[in-house]
Amino acid sequence: MGATISRLSEKPNLWPWLLLAPLAIYLAIFFLVPLIDVAIMSFTEPRLSIANYQKVLTGALYQKVFLNTFMTAALVTLACLCVGYPLAYLMNASKPRTAMLILLLVTMSFWTSFLVRTYAWMVLLGNNGPIVAFLRAVGFETPPQLLFTRFSSTLAMVHILAPYMIMNIYSVMRKIDPVLIRSAESLGARGFSLFRHVYLPLTAPGIANGCVLVFVICLGFYVTPVLLGSPREQMIAGLIGHQIEEFLAFGMGSAMAMVLLAITLAILAIYHRRFGLDKLWG
Amino acid sequence: MHQYLQLNGITKTYGDFTALKKVDLTIEKGEFVTFLGPSGSGKTTTLMIIAGFEKATAGDVLVEGKSLSGLAPHERNIGIVFQNYALFPHKTAVENVYFPLQMRGVRRGEGLKKADEMLALVGLGGFGKRYPKELSGGQQQRVALARALVFEPSLLLLDEPLGALDKNLREQMQIEIKRIQRALGVTTIFVTHDQSEAMSMSDRIVVFEKGEIQQAATPLEIYHKPQTRFVAGFIGESNLVPARIGDAAANQAESTALGICDYAPTESAVTDGQDVTLLIRPEHIRLSRNPIEGRKNVRMQVETIVNYGDNALVIGKVGDLQMRVRVLGADVVIIKEGEECCISWQPEAVFVVPR
Amino acid sequence: MRLIGILVIVFIAAPLVIVVPMSFSDARSLQFPPPGYWLGYYRAYFSDMNWLLPTWNSILIATATTVLTMALVVPATFALVRHRFAGKSFADLMMLMPLAVPHIVMAVGYYSFLGDLRLVHTHFGVVLAHTCLSVPIAFLVLSANLKGFDRNLERAAQSLGASPVQTFIHVTLPILRPGLLISALFAFIQSFDETVVAIFISGRNAETLPRKMFDSIRQEADPVIAVISTLLFLAVLVALVAPFAWRGLRSRLAESAPRSASPAGQ
Repeated sequence: MGATISRLSEKPNLWPWLLLAPLAIYLAIFFLVPLIDVAIMSFTEPRLSIANYQKVLTGALYQKVFLNTFMTAALVTLACLCVGYPLAYLMNASKPRTAMLILLLVTMSFWTSFLVRTYAWMVLLGNNGPIVAFLRAVGFETPPQLLFTRFSSTLAMVHILAPYMIMNIYSVMRKIDPVLIRSAESLGARGFSLFRHVYLPLTAPGIANGCVLVFVICLGFYVTPVLLGSPREQMIAGLIGHQIEEFLAFGMGSAMAMVLLAITLAILAIYHRRFGLDKLWG
Repeated sequence: MHQYLQLNGITKTYGDFTALKKVDLTIEKGEFVTFLGPSGSGKTTTLMIIAGFEKATAGDVLVEGKSLSGLAPHERNIGIVFQNYALFPHKTAVENVYFPLQMRGVRRGEGLKKADEMLALVGLGGFGKRYPKELSGGQQQRVALARALVFEPSLLLLDEPLGALDKNLREQMQIEIKRIQRALGVTTIFVTHDQSEAMSMSDRIVVFEKGEIQQAATPLEIYHKPQTRFVAGFIGESNLVPARIGDAAANQAESTALGICDYAPTESAVTDGQDVTLLIRPEHIRLSRNPIEGRKNVRMQVETIVNYGDNALVIGKVGDLQMRVRVLGADVVIIKEGEECCISWQPEAVFVVPR
Repeated sequence: MRLIGILVIVFIAAPLVIVVPMSFSDARSLQFPPPGYWLGYYRAYFSDMNWLLPTWNSILIATATTVLTMALVVPATFALVRHRFAGKSFADLMMLMPLAVPHIVMAVGYYSFLGDLRLVHTHFGVVLAHTCLSVPIAFLVLSANLKGFDRNLERAAQSLGASPVQTFIHVTLPILRPGLLISALFAFIQSFDETVVAIFISGRNAETLPRKMFDSIRQEADPVIAVISTLLFLAVLVALVAPFAWRGLRSRLAESAPRSASPAGQ
């Protein structure tokens, strides 16, 4: 509508550029330059070559870590979906008050520092913790080692990332018009077929959103796998940190970081083409 | 005639699209003028140009002979009521009304007192301390009106202000706005797409279509003597019959469907053989079983009867031409759908639409 | 379905609930349920500079990050939401990029980049890095608010005699205030919680609380962490519940008091 076009925007003017310039310059210097630094280091440390990439892409150790990272991320995403979908459904189906309380809990979990949550899992799964105590009580003489395994880090990551999934799915579910479900029922859809043909397609955008978000965050997750995972089953981020901190191997660390970045951006680019990146965090 | 507000050849283009084509209009002091037209007809654009939010591509707006073109919106001293009221949500009703006074440097105590008086004038005495969201739609409307009037603007612009209200409240507000406008004598332009609103409130109606003024005249003139086919069709219910002037001296036209048809003497110059449109309002047509002496009679095949209780709308065909007839509720019993009947009118009921 | 739901709720709630009793524990290491209760670790936290200093660093860095982020993001958001210009969609995308890059990648970059600038292990260096990470979050919140802003309010103000500057001060800013506050809060929390970049660049001088917690968990699992966790948890709880409580209180006050109270205090 003509009436909504502002007077300023009719002729090209400098205002938007002036307003945008400080941030653009800032991001160029303090965001892009460090990234370019990583790219350069991946080729120049310790000397100019593509040896780092050759090692990262073909070395058995690195391949194993990449594979492990992918498997873990996929597993965490799947688990988040299995945990998140039923809860979102339950929230949507329950009374406003109950839904509100569950939402408060999820939000609180979301806002609680993930270091705190990681620590809590350490307590829960520790050798003096309640789960081991429970296992002892029901007859396990020597309970299995829970902490510092792939199990503990995966479980904690599911817990940390589940709120992303729940909120994404819930926000889509809440917008589904109940009349639509009722009319589908009146047309003969029930049980699984109702879910398969009505609910699932309608909530698909939320599922896609949640899965992409959880998967991408999980790929680059550093803290929790390092603190709770097994040292023998590292993920990429942990290995990058290890290379830098222990060996000061900036070339290798940078090359791995670039590969991780490329994979992450590729996934997000696919999402961006399909849905638009601003929707992902919206 | 005292020309208070003048629009001189206002043109507005967006790229290739022409939103307004050389709009000329003069408005007298104290007049209540309605801009009427469908959405996209240019009425709101004209309003925004007067207010200064849009810049005309060509042409000028003058108030009392002085051009407004160099003035920013805040320098124009024009009160506006927006469609969604645009009340400041963080200010109470009285603070909203005080705002224009505050901007003009009126001291708080004095300004709030004046704002209170203005609220009382629009019938909201005692509601000053409420926030907009604590007021009903009609009350918000009144606050917006008070705010647009409190600084004694040279012009009041109302942009479809009643659109969001339900029917009863709307009628009440029509009367209310008219009362306040009369009491203050402020020159007012009211934009709407609702013809009944325009009819009931205006001193003068300006009908817009495709960026042009189709007609500017009093409500009765617009209704009874529409100057263009668009106005005839847009205002009220109408039967529009394509015809050709047969004998201009005898006020006779010929139409394929109706045959030779007498029309009311017209002020516009028409010549023999000119193609015109004849306007016959449905309420001026009578329906009967047999022809009535002294009237133009034609036979109509009745297709649909829509009953409204006190009256009914009968739709039928005269040859290929669809005709609509309004009849009183009691009269409708004489015919049924599918039957043939007689419709008739007097020559005075037939108006020649020149364009 | 219901049963699964309840199990999920327990799964989500358990780790949040468990840290509170842990903080009152008198055990020397991770033991749950605690053998006894005391406030010793609270005393330990509030008297140990090894914990208080990182806390202070974090508050300082997060505050500076918030100020810098808002100073950069507010004008940029106005430009991106209110104006149309060539390259706008690209600019929109670039605003989100810091959110798309894994923090470990940025950490490697900052380690080298800030090292070159001799800013590694300084507060200023951490603030510079954190601001980049806070920009997209503040932008997302603020642009959503600004998109919902009714421009007719500004038009109304201008028609009522307010100049563009007066319009901004009297109308635009007060109405956007909640959005600005939330946006700033998000920027603050992002910086306060950020761990990975801080681990690599904050060093001992500018050590942040998350870095200290990370090191402590990795090395000794100091029970003081439970105290900090409880305090952080409490802060989140207050931040989440306070708006509801405040709204409830205000509406109750509004009901009990006649509407004669001066609106000046709002």
